[in-house]
Amino acid sequence: MDNIANLMHGFSVALTTHHILLMMAGVLLGILVGVLPGLGAPNGVSLLLPLTFSMDPVSAIILLTSLYWGALFGGSTTSILFNIPGEPSSVATTFDGHPMAKQGKATEALSFAFLSAGIGAMAGVILITVLSGWVASFALRFSSPEFFAVYFITFASFIGLGGSSPFKAIVAMGVGFALASIGMDSVSGNIRLTYDFDVLLAGVSFLIAVIGLFGIGELMLTMEEGLRFNGISAKVRARDVLKTAAKLPRYWVALLRSSAIGIWMGITPGGPTAASFMSYAMAKRSSRRGANFGKGEPEGVIAPETADHAAGSAAMLPMLALGIPGSATAAVMMGGLMIWGLNPGPTLFTDRPDFVWGLIASMYLGNVVAVIVVLATVPLFASILRIPFSIVGPVIVVVCFIGAFTVASKEFDIWLALIFGFVGYFFKKLDYPIAPLILAMVIGDKAEDAFRQSMIFSQGSLSIFWSNPLVTTLMSLGLILLLMPLIGTIFRRLRALGKTRAA
Amino acid sequence: MITRFWAECAMALTTMIFGLGIVWGALDFGIGWDSSGPQPGAFPFYTGMLVALASLGTIVVTTARRFAGNDLLGEIFLDAERARRVASFILPVIGFVVLSATLGMYVATVLYLVFTMRFQGGYGWLPTLATGFGAALAFYFALEKFFQIGLLKGPLERFLGF
Amino acid sequence: MKNFSITAVVAGAIAIGGAGAAQAWQPTKPVEFVVTSGAGGGTDNFARMVQSIITKHKLLEQPVVVVNKGGGSGAEGYVHGKAGKGDPHRVVFGTNNAYLLPYVAKLGYKPADLTPVAALALDEFLLWVKGDAPYADAKAYIEAVKAKPNGFKMAGSQSKDTDQTLTSMIQGATGAKWIYVPFQGGSAAATQLAGGHVDSNTNNPNENVGQWKAGQVKPLCVFSPVRLAKSDPVFDGKGWGDIPTCKEAGLPLETFQMPRTVWLPAEVPADAVTFYEGILEKVSQTPEWKEFVSRTAQTGRFMKGKEFADFVAQDEAANKKVFEAEGWIAK
Repeated sequence: MDNIANLMHGFSVALTTHHILLMMAGVLLGILVGVLPGLGAPNGVSLLLPLTFSMDPVSAIILLTSLYWGALFGGSTTSILFNIPGEPSSVATTFDGHPMAKQGKATEALSFAFLSAGIGAMAGVILITVLSGWVASFALRFSSPEFFAVYFITFASFIGLGGSSPFKAIVAMGVGFALASIGMDSVSGNIRLTYDFDVLLAGVSFLIAVIGLFGIGELMLTMEEGLRFNGISAKVRARDVLKTAAKLPRYWVALLRSSAIGIWMGITPGGPTAASFMSYAMAKRSSRRGANFGKGEPEGVIAPETADHAAGSAAMLPMLALGIPGSATAAVMMGGLMIWGLNPGPTLFTDRPDFVWGLIASMYLGNVVAVIVVLATVPLFASILRIPFSIVGPVIVVVCFIGAFTVASKEFDIWLALIFGFVGYFFKKLDYPIAPLILAMVIGDKAEDAFRQSMIFSQGSLSIFWSNPLVTTLMSLGLILLLMPLIGTIFRRLRALGKTRAA
Repeated sequence: MITRFWAECAMALTTMIFGLGIVWGALDFGIGWDSSGPQPGAFPFYTGMLVALASLGTIVVTTARRFAGNDLLGEIFLDAERARRVASFILPVIGFVVLSATLGMYVATVLYLVFTMRFQGGYGWLPTLATGFGAALAFYFALEKFFQIGLLKGPLERFLGF
Repeated sequence: MKNFSITAVVAGAIAIGGAGAAQAWQPTKPVEFVVTSGAGGGTDNFARMVQSIITKHKLLEQPVVVVNKGGGSGAEGYVHGKAGKGDPHRVVFGTNNAYLLPYVAKLGYKPADLTPVAALALDEFLLWVKGDAPYADAKAYIEAVKAKPNGFKMAGSQSKDTDQTLTSMIQGATGAKWIYVPFQGGSAAATQLAGGHVDSNTNNPNENVGQWKAGQVKPLCVFSPVRLAKSDPVFDGKGWGDIPTCKEAGLPLETFQMPRTVWLPAEVPADAVTFYEGILEKVSQTPEWKEFVSRTAQTGRFMKGKEFADFVAQDEAANKKVFEAEGWIAK
């Protein structure tokens, strides 16, 4: 195995005290930007970029990727503790993570999240090690129809979840789609739905919506219930972290499935956000404890976290091998690669093996370091919940609005976050599901672009979605997922009918 | 007293107006299907329509249930006590946003934290002031100094020469 | 920190003193660099390169803060520039979209809301096809496209932007006709070409270099009056300097280049414009800048004052002609 030998060489490059210290620094900074909503990994990476100009490329990328891991972990922390996802990809973590925290199981939720995230990331890195050559050529086969099919699968797997009224689910998803289409439409080059307001030129950032809907909206509900986190007296013991770790193997099916989904979405490249949503939906559908999802089921934390990190690390491969930045963070890192004099693209593996394999080795090490560092911070973060809510609440409010402002340095955004707070409060009180809204906001415009690009390719013929084996498989998978709940219902009804007849 | 029925209808009406607003905005860009697929306005147009129709659906279903005598809909959506609690939280928040926009975010942070802790939480002046100024300083150093991101500033900062 | 700022002040004073001319205006607070693209975009790289050079050579005594405002393909940044009317501490970095965007979209700013400062480089456009395509030169490819109108696909960044404008110019000059497929940006257009989903693109050198190195794509010609600067071989013994100009290759379209531009808000003191012109001119003379320009295969060309104004007028007229012919002008 050539790759293994290369990897060993990589370890010899990456494993130095200097690098381990850089990893720890990167992870800690990453947690900081991840915990502050609004400041995300892309901000963190672009701010550190100037510092790395004078470093050698291997050290530089180690620092930046460690910051990226740290930010991903930090994003999950706020999702669980305060219901405010720090990153788009940790939205799905709030669904069960926050209920767990409210029940006094914050330590457990955080430990599950971090450990499964670490496992997911490892799965992604192992894939990169083993399949680097193959994946690079596979991703090239993706064009607009295939991208659309991937987004379609994500939507399809999410539809039919949750018990609220279908009308309300449609409204929520439609609002998300509509918000996503504000601003520049790259397919036509038109600026849409800004109603001549300059503040809408850049569109409505998904992060602002999340800060309002989840952060402020959740606080309003908590206040209405009377100012308390339930289970606030739960003790935080370092031992609980280890206990949770011992429970993890029980969820091996969820871990495996979520890793597979994450890896698949990372290389296809649907991205970590789609991966975490899809993984959550799949876990809910297939789990025997599916009814508990949304009420604090550990599997509902494990599934999105594993997939999120598996996709996050697997997505590094298309970036290195093809020069496709899979995310905003990857785009900034690619800018960095060019400044350090490296050209991301198919030849990077052959031109600079020391860099590539050093990076891959550092992904193994970086994730181990990150998991250790964040697990060490679990008791610290979990004990934040023990501070009286009349202090924590207002501080969260301040963090939310400052976070909303830092997203794009726009005053308008803090007003928008306030409006979204009201929307979130009323939506939750009236049983409108919020997840479809967020999902539509995050990948709605990408799905629309991919669809319209496909139509340009085919000059208006829908047959393009069944034009080759790859896209046909993807679309069929999506259709099956879409129709499964329906078929299931019909099947059950028929059986019930048969039974009544028999009786 | 607001019952759940009226809350449902008001929300559905709001989303319906939102949907129609999107439809109206989309009309500028062409909503048809030409040789290169849907025109730019088509997606927003149909999502807007869908939102409006589904909102109408909610109103119809809710009203039908109301007349069928569904107890849940007669429930009180927000009683006086709960409304008071929500208002005591959200009014200072609105105040914070207004102050952020006028006096700058640092001043607003201090004033907001002092107000909520001292006058709503009933803490002593010392912990209150420590938290308020501590938070403002922490944000200043983390954002302004380390990450070089400026927050909204007001007359005070201008006076101090920032 | 304090120590650093003192040295910076001294160095800044020396640098400015060294420029000779008595410059009345000096920044009195941190200078904001407004980037009219998202993080990682071409304009972002440009602005951050300038920032790093200014910091390294201590050309400014005040700190520089970079803000990304890339919404509406940069319009957000220009509107932000307009809002800073009279404030010379707000420097806007962009391309020719500063004066072209208002033609194709209804926006909250006009080119007159910005004061031109300088351009530092010209980004080049090339005609690329797939590495194993059977066309030996640009002429052969154009002939093939002409023989089968709407049978070939051209990939590029979003509609009504530079790539589609250039495609339209080629179509006008040669009579060929492509299906134009807009993607999110140059890197997507590059991988789509490498994967064989489209037949060609008009990417900048920097956007396609990775794929060229691997032989997945090949350049046919460059839309520049002269060949690109000589470079180390990139693929198959050929470097940037070996690519023929499109005129040499028999395409009746000589030049299409995108300036990397710098602007100030309207109504700033003339001294301030001179001040930034001086700093940017110094930046353009540093070895780091020259290295950046050659690494990204752009053409380094510093323009200010009348030279810049003339360039803008000419570029604007040429683009406007295409916009009018294609019916892209926003009402």
